[in-house]
Amino acid sequence: MKSLWLFPGQGGQKAGMLKEVDPVLKEKVEHWTKVRLLDSEGGYQNSQQIQLSILLLQVGQVDRLKAKGWKPDLVAGHSLGVFAAAYAANVIKQEDVFKLVSLRAKLMQDSYPQGYGMGVIVGLSRQEAQQLVDQVASADQQVYLSNQNAELQNTLSGKITAIEAVLELARKSGAAKAKLLRVPNPSHSPLMQEVADQLRAALHQLDLTEPNCIYLANNNGHPVKTVEEISYDLANNLTHPVFWETMINVALEYDSQVSVEFSPGTAFTKLLKSKTDQIANIALADLTIDDADFLLNKWEGKS
Amino acid sequence: MSERNWHSHRDAKNARLAGAAKLLDGKFAKTEDVVKVLEALIKPGDKVVLEGDNQKQASFLSAALTKVDAAKVHDLHMIMSSISRPEHLDIFDLGIASKMDFSYAGPQSTRVSQMIADNTMQVGDIHTYLELFGRLFIDLIPNVVLVAADKVDHEGNLYTGFNTEETPTIVEAAAFHDGIVIVQANDVVDKVPRVDIPAGWVDVVIPADKPYQLEPLFTRDPQAISELQILMGMMAIRGIYEKHNVQTLNHGVGFNTSAIELLLPTYGEQLGLKGKICRNWELNPTPTLIPAIESGWVESIHSFGGEVGMEKYIMARPDIFFVGNDGTMRSNRALGQVAGQYACDMFVGSTLQIDQFGNSSTVTHGRLSGFGGAPNMGSNPTGRRHSTPAWQSLKPADDPLAKGQKLVVQMVETFGSNKKPVFVDHLDAEEVRKEAKLANVPIMIYTEDTTHILTEEGIAYLYKTDSMEERKAAIEAVAGVTPVGLRSKPQEVKNLRERGIVALPEDIGVRRQDAKRSLLAAQTMDDLVEWSHGLYNPPVKFRSWS
Repeated sequence: MKSLWLFPGQGGQKAGMLKEVDPVLKEKVEHWTKVRLLDSEGGYQNSQQIQLSILLLQVGQVDRLKAKGWKPDLVAGHSLGVFAAAYAANVIKQEDVFKLVSLRAKLMQDSYPQGYGMGVIVGLSRQEAQQLVDQVASADQQVYLSNQNAELQNTLSGKITAIEAVLELARKSGAAKAKLLRVPNPSHSPLMQEVADQLRAALHQLDLTEPNCIYLANNNGHPVKTVEEISYDLANNLTHPVFWETMINVALEYDSQVSVEFSPGTAFTKLLKSKTDQIANIALADLTIDDADFLLNKWEGKS
Repeated sequence: MSERNWHSHRDAKNARLAGAAKLLDGKFAKTEDVVKVLEALIKPGDKVVLEGDNQKQASFLSAALTKVDAAKVHDLHMIMSSISRPEHLDIFDLGIASKMDFSYAGPQSTRVSQMIADNTMQVGDIHTYLELFGRLFIDLIPNVVLVAADKVDHEGNLYTGFNTEETPTIVEAAAFHDGIVIVQANDVVDKVPRVDIPAGWVDVVIPADKPYQLEPLFTRDPQAISELQILMGMMAIRGIYEKHNVQTLNHGVGFNTSAIELLLPTYGEQLGLKGKICRNWELNPTPTLIPAIESGWVESIHSFGGEVGMEKYIMARPDIFFVGNDGTMRSNRALGQVAGQYACDMFVGSTLQIDQFGNSSTVTHGRLSGFGGAPNMGSNPTGRRHSTPAWQSLKPADDPLAKGQKLVVQMVETFGSNKKPVFVDHLDAEEVRKEAKLANVPIMIYTEDTTHILTEEGIAYLYKTDSMEERKAAIEAVAGVTPVGLRSKPQEVKNLRERGIVALPEDIGVRRQDAKRSLLAAQTMDDLVEWSHGLYNPPVKFRSWS
């Protein structure tokens, strides 16, 4: 039974989500990063709190699932999710991944104090959205077509005023939904180049190992199997769109039979269910590890 | 001057087989030796056919091919009618293969696009099935073919049964030009039910670890047929099948055509059309045709392949299907394609996009899917000279040398399941040609071959148009509220209707309110089983019971 492990990025965090997390691991993370994780609404106004807490939640779940004897055949992380994906693929060590994400969050937080962000358009194809971006984008009004979450769901990244102009055009072109996202960075666009450069330097210092499964790369949607390609994705995914739809199409072509979505949230399981009935789904936000283990055993027996 | 060696291919084949001799007992190799056998018999740069179509897969051999040592076996030129399984592409990632000639890649179309983009795979051409099968005997003559059989006897005679499909064609191309024929077999038996491929054409047999992969590709659950599809089915029967007196035909695999099949015993019967239309079919044994067969509509069905669950039903209806003296069906994709293209009055299919001129394609951005049978079935064989009423009904009246034409019908809803317009000014395929550096735009069916377009709005009788401008206007008239359809002018539509170039449902006596699910001869899989007198056994995933 081929399994696809999915790791969401920021957006699903909520106060109290770390309640079930192993306190020993949490302490270690706080020690490594020198950041005390508050797991509160106030705390989640801060990018470092959000990113480290989500990573902690996911790494904890990976460890517990692996302790039950499960491992992925393919991993797919969305944005921040790539770090837990690389960890699940045995590419990066536990301590390193937390330190790296701590740095990433800090750099992102400092990069665009105000006036920049992201938007989402639902109901237009990527080509249609690109045409609208081309009408608005200029040296002064920086805006880029960024993540491809589903065939008809794409995001924009750039200056808020420029994003709003594109969203307005999108509404006029019949988009079902066009709105700003609560994201304080123009992530997944060339505007993040400086952050990527510093992350690349930090990654260069780390001792990474070859993956033991297929890693679906954010930056081009390709299945990759080498440490070089994964390292590139970890450092540079912030400067490229996340080609999620393509990643999922590739995962399905690899004949994945079960998906496991790590916390928080269940958004990617819903997207997947709306797309295909080829694959059985587990969302860890809805199930305990023991329940997930039970289901995986049951399905493995069947296939 | 020394004399040329006129049997160098035979010498090379014998040398390879001699090199593998220690792995062989007669023609038989051990299951666990499969990788070694492939390493011994396949050489770098070989043209290799790996059997894979949209139903049956030589899955044991394809998995083994990914395990050969790329230092020994590399740069293979693969020839495959369908790229269906992940390992069909893994061999490119691993450096075992470098070039691909194919027809269909639907189940792997994203990775095919990626591999072309990053030069992991070089594409020869994207072919119609008949082009590809034909080239196996001309300029793509294989060095090695890897195929699948159901049963093999101790001499190496093969039984391929219901899913004979393209195995004989592939084997013939190799066996008579000093290629090596390697077969995976589900079972080794003392006596095969019948000989589909004689032992003399086979070089090596390897018992497989498990049966070859087989997909129930042509099973459509009647429950998923919408009332819009029923309306379109009624329009098709009235405005095309009856009008042109269509007797011999091929259907695509969509729900639209399933609806038509299920309307024949009800709506078709009401119209008094039994015995007058839809008598002889080139079609896989689709379960939704059972009610029409049982009600006496169908005289014969020849099939490209089998269909999981239909075996017992077919065996009990040898008057209808092509069945051997052992009682089981034999299919044949190459002959089926020939029959479907050349011997049928009509092809009816569906597509993802139709452009303003009437060209259609299922290739979209990021998905280089290639095509199945549609480009062969959906093209007008201009050398044909039959005199069937349907063919003759498309003959222009004013030319003494004129001949008829094949009916090629595209049946689409104006908006696709993704809520995007099916009618577009330009096909995605035009961009894909540039991105993938293809010689031709991957069009599935060309406008010149398309005689009818049927939507929920109406029917455009394209064969009656005299100019591209008129053709575009006829397409606009049935394109609904898509950007193409919005260009249509009421006065123009009125004129086209008066001249019989466009027909709305009311023009052909179809009432929208009659299009109800109760009109389907079977509304559930259960109903199909009942129609078959319990002989049809649906695959598990189509059962609501267990």
